Amino acid sequence: MAGLAGHWEMFSISNEIGCYVTCISDSGMLPWLLASLFMALLLFVSYLNAKTPGSRISSFIAAQLCMLASIGIAVSSMHCSRMLTIEIYTAYAGLSTLAALLLPRVYQRVLIGRHMARPIAEIMEWPQAFANKVGNNSNLNSSGTLDVYYYDSAIPRAFASGKAIFLSIGLIEIMDMDELKAILAHEVWHLRHRTGTPILRNLSMITFTRNCTGSELERLADTFAAKTVSRNAVESARAKLS
Amino acid sequence: MVKLDRINLSNEGLTKFFSPIEAQIMTVLWENGECTTPDITERTGIPLSSVAGTLDRLVKAGYAKRTVDRSGQRVRYLYSASESMDSTANSITRKVLDSLVDTFGKVAIENFHTYNKK
Repeated sequence: MAGLAGHWEMFSISNEIGCYVTCISDSGMLPWLLASLFMALLLFVSYLNAKTPGSRISSFIAAQLCMLASIGIAVSSMHCSRMLTIEIYTAYAGLSTLAALLLPRVYQRVLIGRHMARPIAEIMEWPQAFANKVGNNSNLNSSGTLDVYYYDSAIPRAFASGKAIFLSIGLIEIMDMDELKAILAHEVWHLRHRTGTPILRNLSMITFTRNCTGSELERLADTFAAKTVSRNAVESARAKLS
Repeated sequence: MVKLDRINLSNEGLTKFFSPIEAQIMTVLWENGECTTPDITERTGIPLSSVAGTLDRLVKAGYAKRTVDRSGQRVRYLYSASESMDSTANSITRKVLDSLVDTFGKVAIENFHTYNKK
């Protein structure tokens, strides 16, 4: 404890800043560092102003990568041991970026295990093909496969996470084909806009900024489903679930 | 569901041992054999939002069982009672008797021997 207290007594922000300025000015890396920090700032501003969830996530990750590059430049320029603030920020940036990248897949595996979900192709053929077709739709500007799963529950429910859509048998049995298509399109929208996992909520908490509300996202997903299938199918599916 | 701490002797009929919705669903299953979810909502008059969760609970507790029917165009559940009403009555009676004997011992057993009401 005495050693730790001594360390904190020695730590001072003004000393840290003085140390950075001296070391980085002497190394000739200052223009690169400033450019990298400026890019990070621009990307963070674009993260705050992003209109779609996808652009929010990509600009946040790009800002973090620029900050990591800045740290790399600063570390390579410094010749002393006053690195505490850099170490703290590196840990924060590394962990938050890793969480942002890995969370959707990890969460998807957790959901498959929790609900003992099985591929939908075991009981119905068309939903998987339909989800792939809608998922690769040019309007969504995306590609890649989506997995559709079903799980054993009478409670009518659909949700999405990572690259997977989950439908309960209770939902499948009460919906007709158009209503199920509307639900799949709704969930595909959530996946393609990366809103089916807590990722955006986590980013909002990490950066102390505002996320879209749940109802806004639901309305946007419904609009996409209505364009893809029909307004009637969306409304009748909603009516059955209310 | 039939849990000893939930048994309510002041209720009527099966609701002594099941919740009112569970009792209605089990009665439908005992009386009609295999039923779909719409059959159950129609015969009980209870909305799907209440029936669905109760069906999950009855299946999990082992009082009802279900299979996934994929004949025809649709996928649907087919529900049935796991045991006949008499067998279920048997297991409930056994649970209650075990509990009484555990608590009161000989007094409970003597009462069973002398019991001749109804």
